[in-house]
Amino acid sequence: MAGLLQTLFDALSLGSLYALGALGIALIFGVMRLVNFAHGDVISFSVFALLWPSIDAVAVVFAGNLPWFLLVPFTLTMGAGLAVASELLVFRRFRRANPATMMIASFALGFVIRYFLLMLFSSRPKSISLLPALSQPVEVFGARIPLLQVIIIGATLLILVGLTSFLKRTRYGLEMRAAAENFTMARMLGVRANRVIMGAFALSGALAAAIGLILAAQTGTADIQMGGAVMLMAFIATVIGGLGSLPGAVLAGFLLGAASVVMQVVLPAEARVFRDAFVYGAVIVVLIWRPQGLLSARGTKERV
Amino acid sequence: MSLLALSNVTIRYGRLTAVRNVTWAITEGETLFITGPNGAGKSSLLKAIAGVVPPAGGRIDFGGRDITGQAPETIARMGLSMVPEGREVFGSLTVEENLLLGTGMHARTRGWRARAASELEAIYTTFPMLKDRRAGQAGLLSGGQQQMLVIGRALMTNPALIAIDEPSLGLAPNIIDQVYERLIALQAQRSLTLLIVEQSATRAMLVGGRMMLMRGGEVLLDGDARAMGQSEAMQSAYFGYGEH
Amino acid sequence: MAKRASIARRTIATPVILCVILLGLALLALWTGSKPFNQTIIEIFLRVILVVGLYIFVGNSGVISFGHIGFTCLGAYAAAWLTIPPMMKGISMPGLPDWLMQTQLPYWAAAGLAALFAAVFAAIFGRILMRLSGIAASIATFAMLAMIITIYSNWESVTAATSSVIGIPIVRTIWPYLIGAVLTVFVAWGHAISRSGLALRAARDEPTAAAASGVDIACERLIAFTLSGGVMGLGGALFAHSIGVVTPDTFYLGLTFTTLSMLVVGGMGSLSGAVLGVVILSSLIQVLRWLEKGVQIGDSTLAIPNGLQEIALGVVMILILVFRPAGIMGNSELHWPLARAEEPGHGDT
Repeated sequence: MAGLLQTLFDALSLGSLYALGALGIALIFGVMRLVNFAHGDVISFSVFALLWPSIDAVAVVFAGNLPWFLLVPFTLTMGAGLAVASELLVFRRFRRANPATMMIASFALGFVIRYFLLMLFSSRPKSISLLPALSQPVEVFGARIPLLQVIIIGATLLILVGLTSFLKRTRYGLEMRAAAENFTMARMLGVRANRVIMGAFALSGALAAAIGLILAAQTGTADIQMGGAVMLMAFIATVIGGLGSLPGAVLAGFLLGAASVVMQVVLPAEARVFRDAFVYGAVIVVLIWRPQGLLSARGTKERV
Repeated sequence: MSLLALSNVTIRYGRLTAVRNVTWAITEGETLFITGPNGAGKSSLLKAIAGVVPPAGGRIDFGGRDITGQAPETIARMGLSMVPEGREVFGSLTVEENLLLGTGMHARTRGWRARAASELEAIYTTFPMLKDRRAGQAGLLSGGQQQMLVIGRALMTNPALIAIDEPSLGLAPNIIDQVYERLIALQAQRSLTLLIVEQSATRAMLVGGRMMLMRGGEVLLDGDARAMGQSEAMQSAYFGYGEH
Repeated sequence: MAKRASIARRTIATPVILCVILLGLALLALWTGSKPFNQTIIEIFLRVILVVGLYIFVGNSGVISFGHIGFTCLGAYAAAWLTIPPMMKGISMPGLPDWLMQTQLPYWAAAGLAALFAAVFAAIFGRILMRLSGIAASIATFAMLAMIITIYSNWESVTAATSSVIGIPIVRTIWPYLIGAVLTVFVAWGHAISRSGLALRAARDEPTAAAASGVDIACERLIAFTLSGGVMGLGGALFAHSIGVVTPDTFYLGLTFTTLSMLVVGGMGSLSGAVLGVVILSSLIQVLRWLEKGVQIGDSTLAIPNGLQEIALGVVMILILVFRPAGIMGNSELHWPLARAEEPGHGDT
């Protein structure tokens, strides 16, 4: 029973991570048809923002020494800031470009950010001690679950609820939903394109920063590649969930997390290292069965 | 003084010229129909006016200000509202949410919420079937209801000029009658200027006003709708009799 | 058939000119006689194979693939399996099946088999991927790359996991690489003027019209995908022979980024663009490498920080995408006399 509960929490917390990542991607894809390959590097950047200006191997965490109620907003702001900057400096030039061009540009931007971090911090992962109190285990129905996992799941639920109310109840949210469905028509009603897009970027950047915080607290390291693994899963989740569908992205994120954890438990020991490969394989199976994704959104189908 | 003026407007898509050197103007309160066969450039013209497609050449003035190539949202905020072809409702949003989208540009002066609410009520009075379905998904409405919705939505932006591309497309004749009835009533009520692309020249003649015939990207005829309707010139121009 | 022959005659100038350029580079290397320069030119030829291979799929179908370097990985390791002396294989990769363990082929035979191996996998993956829409397919190719690298990074008994696989016979002369590059250019040209290539480009530009004309888009994409996969495999095999060592990490994001940027800068829809992109960006990379090592200016050494190379590449790529999204060559090819000509297929009456 305890084992099962532990597995459940593992699945939920990993799923939360992937769901948050997929959400960040889906938000931007929804309004701009852009698959933002730089998203993973916003994650890494947010974590390294905590370390600056120290470049030692064992990082003396500068901002990271702040109490959590200052640390979290600081990191979220850094993430949102980088995302908005990337929109202002790079993506704004691509308004009339086709999705493929924007995708490659975001790939290039991701590289620029990553190697910028490498230039400042070197490619060696640094150990950081972030909110160590969170790794304490907590008793839940007889199972010992790390407090961090509970917080991840709780935070994700909060974020999902908050985002949903923002989208459904506020003016800004209404404009974003309209823009995601039919950008041009929304503009013809006076919706300011740039504002909506900036909002999407800011939200997605903040989500990336949240993931960064979680990863940093979980693994205790800051590595320029750290966003990569989560983001790959997040991209896959967006595709499986149906490009452009926010609920689809979240659902698929949780499914992938569950699949990953289940594979870990079910696979024989020698095959466990290939767990990720199995997950990708499962993804391919899903795509054969339903190429358009689980919950496809309007206006994303190819014409032919 | 003309409300909307086009001078030598040319629109190109890559190597294809859709609209060639078109010049005309529309005065306040006028009803102007643009008719003509498929591919005449009518929709492209409206898109250029609304800011969706930048013209390759020429100039468009609205209310005395140059709006050539401006962003759609800027033009909408100046009081020019466009209802594109195909009734682009936001299907996943509710009817009321669709309507409320038009209120975003209202100045946030005191009492704007109340004003927006009263405008909403005015739209519901004009289109009672929308009120019945206010909380329902817009994507589930019938064609005629959707057409009413998009017109109502455009009206919520308080425009001086409303441009509608093919309001009759895909609608049954009696529904089209209803749509036009409301449009004309609204025009009188709010002193709107109407610019309507209407493939059915007959409809234009029925409603009356000014009519312009376009073919191959050019304006061939421009005059009173009813008068033109009687003339032979109209038919030849529309169908291209005597050409090639 | 007469049509095909006339298209061939009209467009053959392009691959010929490109190969003359490549030959020129080879002769330059021989003339300078410098070993490091020789290695640089070999690198350029390898990149030509990879980027042209990428062009065969990406350029003709318009679908961005982030996963093609996965085929390069497959080809490289296949070459390793086929050319490393059996005794060394037994030590580092004990899990290989007996028949493979005992095999030791000359490098050119191994390269051919490696290309075939990669092509087979491309056909299998492609079958699935080609049903997806453009953007979903691109993400799926990314997943495919990750899958290949994950498997190769962990399958200790067969690939030595993340340890370097050494012992691959090194081929130092420039000719095999030149031949590989020339072969690739002609294969790409041949595909581009073939019925399949033309159909694919038609589908790229006007999917609705193409489908209505009877083009089976998924099938044509699959053909291009398989062919390009094979070419990437060839590149991988030769890559292995150029340095004698392979690790999975070599064939991941870094190489993906480099090859994609070369294709984008040169012009995605152009074979000449692919080659030119390689030459231009390779020169840029070389300059940046020298600067990273440090350049003597008077008494002091000027060295740019590590990582600036990739940043510069990224910035160049973004600038090209903003100001000239079709790349330097756009959709045109090099033609004789050195003026630009429309792609094969345009201007056909």
